[in-house]
Amino acid sequence: MSIISLININYTYPLEEKQTIHSLSLDLEKGCVYGLTGANESGKTTICNIIRGFIPELYKGELTGEVMIKGKNINDYNIGDLATIIGYSFQNPFTQLSGVKDTVYEEIAYGMENIGVPRSKMIQKVDEIVKMFQLEDLIDKNPFELSGGQKQRVAIASVVALDPEIIILDEPTSQLDPKSTEDIFEIIQLLKKQGKTILLVEHKVDLLAAYCDEILLISRGELVMQGPVKEILSNPKVVEYGGQLPQVALYFIKKAKANGSSVSQVPLTVQEVYDHLNKDGEV
Amino acid sequence: MDSRIGNLYPSSKFTFIILIILLSMLVPGFIFQYMIFLFIFLISLFSGTAIKFLSTFMKSIPILILFIFIFQVFLIVNEDSQQIWAFIHFSQIGLMTSLTMTSKIVAISSSIIWFFQVTRVKDIIYALEQSGVSQKVTFVIASTIQLIPQMLNLSRTIADAQKSRGIETEGTLFVRMKAFIPMIGPLVLSSIQQIEERVLALESRAFSSKAKKTSIYELRKQKIDYIIVIFCILVLIVYIVWRIKL
Ligand SMILES: Nc1ncnc2c1ncn2[C@@H]1O[C@H](COP(=O)(O)OP(=O)(O)O)[C@@H](O)[C@H]1O
Ligand SMILES: [Mg+2]
Repeated sequence: MSIISLININYTYPLEEKQTIHSLSLDLEKGCVYGLTGANESGKTTICNIIRGFIPELYKGELTGEVMIKGKNINDYNIGDLATIIGYSFQNPFTQLSGVKDTVYEEIAYGMENIGVPRSKMIQKVDEIVKMFQLEDLIDKNPFELSGGQKQRVAIASVVALDPEIIILDEPTSQLDPKSTEDIFEIIQLLKKQGKTILLVEHKVDLLAAYCDEILLISRGELVMQGPVKEILSNPKVVEYGGQLPQVALYFIKKAKANGSSVSQVPLTVQEVYDHLNKDGEV
Repeated sequence: MDSRIGNLYPSSKFTFIILIILLSMLVPGFIFQYMIFLFIFLISLFSGTAIKFLSTFMKSIPILILFIFIFQVFLIVNEDSQQIWAFIHFSQIGLMTSLTMTSKIVAISSSIIWFFQVTRVKDIIYALEQSGVSQKVTFVIASTIQLIPQMLNLSRTIADAQKSRGIETEGTLFVRMKAFIPMIGPLVLSSIQQIEERVLALESRAFSSKAKKTSIYELRKQKIDYIIVIFCILVLIVYIVWRIKL
């Protein structure tokens, strides 16, 4: 059984004439990391909102089709309880804070307070999360005084603190410098090890190639490609649909074309390039 | 802030304030009330907030007092009013009225100022929550207080943007007013948009969960808290009994 299933989803935002999501069907398996990518305005955030139930609970509009979470229709869940099943961090780091806590430490605990976790357990969990996200230096700061990148890290930490099985990260690294971006991906890998299912909206294909199991490519509200990373991110069609391919992949595709050979074993990451060249005795 | 005062439970300090307010209303005359001001100042000194206390007090209350004096002594016509010039009179009765009136204002406002300077907002919110006030109410209080500095920041950003477009934002009151009006639009709009996004953020923290909330922050009532409350109630009772017997 898939942990998330979308069945023939169509969605139109309120007051909009054009439909935003078209006949979208999707199955996500437990414990995998999915990279959701595609051009700006293609509907990635909208899909996240549908999976989390914000559409149609908070955004109205016209939604048809079914969303199944852990085999149960999303309408049968209480929206308040879904937070403990699906963690969701947003694109804009500036509006993700609760706005009622004056230290990062308490900000991280806020979700647990809302679901009534006993205090001693909460302290234990916050300490664990602080360590995992390397927030030791920030715990006494006011969340509003953090930089965009720090806010983003705290926001993700606060969501992970609720221990959801599914984690949606909508462009978590768009505000981050390269080092913090790597850190977020390290955390994603850690979460995967804990058995979490992760849906990651991201433009940085090089990192998607290194950390994801599968890629979902969206173009104008349609799911146009889906499959294992190797298969999708070496397919030149991705570019036609407004997606991106890793730099190294582009290079090898070009080279393969020039040689007239097949493009199925294109290396995607630096490590793979290394292995590839090694095999050919070029290093 | 002195930690001994800071760590008192908010309701203990609040009971004390209520006592002060009741006494300033009940005790006749104005000498007791002005003594209260001195007393609160001494407590501020002890709380380590004396400078803050004076600065807040001086910024707000003297103007009000001055206004009341001018109004009562020189403008309002009483039986004993003597004309000085045109509509300006002098009245002994007005002088007494303003003294009693302002003495109460001074006593009450100074104790309230002291209370908020030695009580953390999060302590007040915690105490409210513990006493069963709805989470929705405490949320509104907490987020408003957190949002004020944010709104100030936002308006500063907008003002800077306007300045760079050549709009005067500094100078006389009139210039400031003129600069303020075009700021309202962006300020309100971006606030509304942020509210919409914040609703989502709160939902992803289980805000609407039906569970009974807990708190990672903790503030315990101590023996001294009970002593203060009992002491305040005793003082009030003794005073009332004494007044009735008189
Ligand atoms: N609240 C909204 N109301 C109306 N239209 C919206 C809203 N949010 C997004 N859209 C539109 O839906 C489309 C998809 O947007 P979005 O899901 O945010 O794309 P992405 O996350 O891939 O950049 C865009 O054309 C956008 O303009
Ligand atoms: Mg988006």
